[in-house]
Amino acid sequence: MIYLPIAEMPVNVLLILLVSGGVGFLSGLIGVGGGFIMTPALIFLGVPAPVAVATGASQIAATSFSGIMTQTRRRSVDWHMGLLLSFGGILGSVCGVWLFERLLHLGQLDLIVSLLYLVLLAGVGLLMVRESYHIWRGRQAKGVSILRRPIKTIAHNLPFRMRFPRSGLYISVLPPLGIGFVIGALSAIMGIGGGFILIPAMIYLLRMPTNVVIGTSLFQVLITTSLIVVLQSAATKTVDLVLAALLMLGGVIGAQLGARLGAGLKSEHLRAILGALLLAASAKFLWDLVIAPTEQYVLRGLW
Amino acid sequence: MRRLAALLALVLICAPASAQTGAPTGPNVADLPAGVAEDSITVSSDYRGSSVTVFGVNPDRQGRGDIVVVVRGPTDSAVVMRKRRVFGLWVNGDPVRFSEAPTFFAVLSNRPLRSIASAQSIWRYQLDPAASAQLASAVPATGDPSAYRAALVRLRRAQGLYQEYSGRDAPDRPGGLTMYEGGLFRAVVRLPANAPIAQYYADTYLFREGRLISAQRIPISITRVGIERRIHDLATNFGWLYGLITVMLALVSGWIAAFLFRRT
Repeated sequence: MIYLPIAEMPVNVLLILLVSGGVGFLSGLIGVGGGFIMTPALIFLGVPAPVAVATGASQIAATSFSGIMTQTRRRSVDWHMGLLLSFGGILGSVCGVWLFERLLHLGQLDLIVSLLYLVLLAGVGLLMVRESYHIWRGRQAKGVSILRRPIKTIAHNLPFRMRFPRSGLYISVLPPLGIGFVIGALSAIMGIGGGFILIPAMIYLLRMPTNVVIGTSLFQVLITTSLIVVLQSAATKTVDLVLAALLMLGGVIGAQLGARLGAGLKSEHLRAILGALLLAASAKFLWDLVIAPTEQYVLRGLW
Repeated sequence: MRRLAALLALVLICAPASAQTGAPTGPNVADLPAGVAEDSITVSSDYRGSSVTVFGVNPDRQGRGDIVVVVRGPTDSAVVMRKRRVFGLWVNGDPVRFSEAPTFFAVLSNRPLRSIASAQSIWRYQLDPAASAQLASAVPATGDPSAYRAALVRLRRAQGLYQEYSGRDAPDRPGGLTMYEGGLFRAVVRLPANAPIAQYYADTYLFREGRLISAQRIPISITRVGIERRIHDLATNFGWLYGLITVMLALVSGWIAAFLFRRT
């Protein structure tokens, strides 16, 4: 047991390490950031939602930095695109932290976070289940189509076009800014990295080649989450350093073990299981919102 | 333990002296001999809550009267919201603000409080948590102010922040008021880990036939020490720096992970 100085509660060190290690393991295995599992898991463990969201961001920063260190050696970061996305992300996270603080003040933060998770977990869960179902059905072209880029998108028609040599693109700067903004805002409110939204958006909307997508998205996630940690520390004082250190330790070890094991493993089944898990978690969020509460009143005091 | 014994001795010595000064003339006379075993509680990284022990002596030689012990945390504003159904979803609505509500409140008495003090006295001396909460905003037309007050008490009680005991402690839960021979009493209050870290007060009251005879207030300070204190001070006073340190920690741990990953 260790007492968390900001959350003002004692937690079981082993339990937190186990949970963060488990989430890290999954993320290493499947190749997702894991923030969207970590934050709800912390909330279920009794950590106040604002602390869970703000502290989770620091763990995502750690994971994405370690990812970027390996990705840059393979020259797979489009720095121009990364900076542009990060600029959008910075604006988005400033707005997100501001919104977070307002919602916290209004007592509606829990509702908004629940609703966003409900939609997000259901969406990602469905995608995962569907994808692995298609692969399982016979590895046809259908499964590969996820990686096939459409010919032309809205990004090519908007004004303020710019060249991105690393990605071989000549597109408008507005879509990357907009995508970065949305991811930054969601990141601040939900305690997620947003890679699993960012990567499809980069492939489908921006037509970026897949070999630079992961590195570039990691770069954007690193910049955004780092900024969020600093902003949350200054604005809402909900970042718990002790909890953050525990999450980083567990997450980093888990991610390595997961990546090792995942290298020689087919991930379709895992994806299907995780997808089902996410759908179940999403159903739980929905259930909590729809079912009549036994306690009609809620306190909006210390948190 | 030695400290506890010394305190007990002190209380016992003081008791006859104050009894000789004559019957207290009115309420709010700070002459009830009492003390706490732990006047400062420290919170370090292994903190899991603690307990406060209040000792005292009934100055009445015949042992007449009733003892009430209240341990109070600082007051702070609180908002209670009521869940409403909007488009099939239950959302928080109808907020009611209390300008002052105790963040921690434990009341112990040798028999049920209502039979010791009148409702007016309970209200006047704020002997129960509901009496200590000051309503600040208008209650919505559909709501009932006493329901909000009751909800506040119920929710905080569920968190262990509001406690009420009458009679001696039950075997299954610690805490309670025990009376000993010669008018000595001992009250044990369990402070849960979620109780705010602040200045507390232990108040002891002697009631006789529903009237307050004498009272005493003893401060108890709860403070962070060591690393807990440093982290908390940094986070509250230098939020930007604290955030930067957290980010640096994230970068360093990420770098170490990447480094280890490359090695093996």
